[in-house]
Amino acid sequence: MRNLLSFSLLLILSVFLLAACGENENNAATGNNNDVENNDEAANNNDAENNEETANNQEEVELDGELIVYSARNETFVQALLDKFSEETGVEVRALHEADPLQIQEEAGNVQADVFISNDLGALEYLNQQELLEGFDPANVDSIDEQFRADNNEWIAISARARGFIYNKDMISEDEMPTKMEDLFDSEWADVENGYAITRGGNGGMIGNISALRYEWGDERTSEWIAAIQDNAAGIFEGHGDIRRAVGAGEHAFGLVNNYYYHQQLEEPNDNNVGFIYADQGEDDMGAIANAAGLGMVSGAPNEDNARAFIEWVLEEENQLAFVGESLEVPINPELEPPYEQAVPFSELKVQDMPLKELGNYFEDTRALIEDSGLDLELR
Amino acid sequence: MNQDKGRQNKLNNDSHAKVGDGKSPAILRFINRKWMEIWKGNPPGTVLLLIGLIVAFIMSVPIVYVIWRSLFAGANSWMRLLGDRIPQLLWNTLSLTAAVTFSAVVIGISLAWIVVRTDLPGKKMWQWMMALPLVIPPYVGAVTYIIVFGPSGWFARFWRESQWLSAIGDYPLNIYSFWGVFFVLTMFTYPYVFLIASASLRKMNRNFEEVARSQGMTTSQIFFKVNLPLLRPAIGAGAILISLYVLSDFGAIAMLRYVTFTAAIYYQRAGFDIPSASVLSLVLILLTILILWLESYTRKKNKFYQTSNTFKEPDTLSLGKWKPWALLFVSAVFMVAVVLPISVLIYWTVIGAGMGAIDARFIGFAWNSIKVSGLAAILCMALATPIIYLKSRHPSVISQTIDKLSYAGYALPGVIVALGMVFIFNNHIPSLYNTFYMIAIAFVVRFLPQAMQSGEASLSLVSPRMDEAARSLGYPAWKVMIKVIIPTIMPGILAGGALVFVSSIKELPATLMLRPPGFDTLAVRVYYEASEAIYHQAAPGALLIVLVSIIPLHYLLRKY
Repeated sequence: MRNLLSFSLLLILSVFLLAACGENENNAATGNNNDVENNDEAANNNDAENNEETANNQEEVELDGELIVYSARNETFVQALLDKFSEETGVEVRALHEADPLQIQEEAGNVQADVFISNDLGALEYLNQQELLEGFDPANVDSIDEQFRADNNEWIAISARARGFIYNKDMISEDEMPTKMEDLFDSEWADVENGYAITRGGNGGMIGNISALRYEWGDERTSEWIAAIQDNAAGIFEGHGDIRRAVGAGEHAFGLVNNYYYHQQLEEPNDNNVGFIYADQGEDDMGAIANAAGLGMVSGAPNEDNARAFIEWVLEEENQLAFVGESLEVPINPELEPPYEQAVPFSELKVQDMPLKELGNYFEDTRALIEDSGLDLELR
Repeated sequence: MNQDKGRQNKLNNDSHAKVGDGKSPAILRFINRKWMEIWKGNPPGTVLLLIGLIVAFIMSVPIVYVIWRSLFAGANSWMRLLGDRIPQLLWNTLSLTAAVTFSAVVIGISLAWIVVRTDLPGKKMWQWMMALPLVIPPYVGAVTYIIVFGPSGWFARFWRESQWLSAIGDYPLNIYSFWGVFFVLTMFTYPYVFLIASASLRKMNRNFEEVARSQGMTTSQIFFKVNLPLLRPAIGAGAILISLYVLSDFGAIAMLRYVTFTAAIYYQRAGFDIPSASVLSLVLILLTILILWLESYTRKKNKFYQTSNTFKEPDTLSLGKWKPWALLFVSAVFMVAVVLPISVLIYWTVIGAGMGAIDARFIGFAWNSIKVSGLAAILCMALATPIIYLKSRHPSVISQTIDKLSYAGYALPGVIVALGMVFIFNNHIPSLYNTFYMIAIAFVVRFLPQAMQSGEASLSLVSPRMDEAARSLGYPAWKVMIKVIIPTIMPGILAGGALVFVSSIKELPATLMLRPPGFDTLAVRVYYEASEAIYHQAAPGALLIVLVSIIPLHYLLRKY
């Protein structure tokens, strides 16, 4: 009896292992070449069989298999969009959330991702400069202004944001608040009740913020600014979501965030007595630091057809809004109503004059600067 | 695959040996004699040896790779890190490790002494209740403490709303601090010391105490002069487990916003600053080795002997007027380390269930956890058996080296193992990169020794005579292994598999670093949802992990 048991256990085990090995090889093979071929074949067959069917129908039949999405954004802002795509096209989407752009670079010899979604155009443009993204001409791309796209549409931005301060109205009044980035040099902000909050230097929004300051001020002054906020901030968090919750709950008086986190906190059932100040709006000020979220196709994408289809799909107006989704950002397409109705349109803001593509040239050195300051590893 | 190759090689060699007489027989004989000397005249079969060598290779290669990369990180990375970052991280890491280890040892020893040696009411029950915090992974514990004591937690709200408390001043607790991390880690790691210390207190010979008492020593003097020195090996073993744990923990530390070496490596690698991550890893490896060496060095200086022939059960001391205090202490620890976290989890799980958090996605995550941990457990059981057989039946320098190498991944933090795996798979085994097999292999590297220890305990009870008898009846070695050895040590192997399974389900940093797109496990979800403060979605997964962890507790309690 015992022998039988152990024998069968071994048998199951070896079958399991063999199956595991086999499955893998298949996966790897299909992942790289077969999938594309199969897709084409299937598409051809369909073409032949369903000649008289409408083009619209064909498009839906054409897609199957999977799509690998790396996203640098928070999962809650992206997953619904991906689910919507899966539902409408039948493509299985596998997502890696909060991925770092440099993972695309690290995997250049063994490309995994089809599409990269980022909340920092600097990261997208950096990847583009490293020739890791591939452009094409998707339909409806003209709905996005050219300054929000790479030269050959290697990346396309969909939604925009501006930096500013979210504050708790119970703790601090609007006229007591800082109004520009420069104000944070002053150590008086360390003394406001419960202090203020920033994110860790590894955060994509913070990287863009610091790149913009380097463009404006040069490296030396920017380093001093980093040192100042590092010394004076009472809270240093992993993400902006933490900041808006903490400020809403009164754990900190104010925090440096993107404008849409203010929209999100207003939508909360409680802890929502918050205000927002767009930074640097004065006459002589540089204007609010802007950035945008967008996406691009990875060059050598294993599921290239699906990647193209996904980008075309996102550019449909309905889905541009879905891309904005729960983040409550402002869509770049001027035709679209922002999902958060009270959002200040970008046309009414004074925005820093830096072309967003410039961010790509600053990306690498900004990260080095942040690492030198130690802000990338500071949490409190 | 590899086994087949090994067999083929062997066949080829055989035929060469018959045909090719070109080699000098004298050299062959010399090599052969040396080979026999190494194995003390009892060399293992080729297949067995090959399996052993392959396992040792797999176990050590991620770490060797990390060290290799760190040596070529470039002077630039080194200079930048050595100047500022490494001293700061060293201070953070060492102060936390020392503080947690010290207080966990104090709590563990005192609890063990009270529970084992005194007439505490319900002492049988306390013996396992005090070990219960072991089933709560520290990152889950940290979440519950944030929920209760965080700046917007239950207690803080209560403080602000109650008049007499807010009259005292602002809410004084800051969970996101050194003391917050210190407290959480202490509360969820002390059971290691408790278990080991109670086992050795139970085995302590009464004679020594009686001699001391006859010399007029008081109970407290006896504790410090007799009991404590005899507990030295137990304290050392417990302290090592705890300090290695603190060095390697990522989840609790990240949630409580503290930064140690492990967390720094995680963030550096998340930002794909690979050279810096490898440099920091090298320092962390050195720290680990230093702690292991420190322990073995201090232990070697003193030797402890207990005679077994005059063994007398230790007597039970009467607590007298101290009884209520002892009871209070024991219950307070139990409240803080078990009742509070579990109730918080149940509270949020009920809310989560009401809001539909236990849906198809949740089941998918649970299935992912089971799939990857199950594969790791099966692999560990399959690989541990030949290694322990090799070690116990064919002792030699080679089998000892294999055994030692197998412990490399166990002693080191998961982030380092994961870092090595990423390098190797991305650059050299691209077809397995970004599959869940990569996580399972990382788990094997991390947890194989757990399966080995429990298998070894069983194998040590099987006399080699059994093998010899079977061999004499004409079975070849592999058949002895399958027909005789494996069935007899099966319970030990399965227990080892269960341990690996549970450790794998709880594991966080390596899973986070290695998970392929679209493959989230329960541990990853708990970490993500909790860091987004979506507690009703974090709690069901956390509770499930806790429940699964109860499985091997029964085994652990029996072992110590």
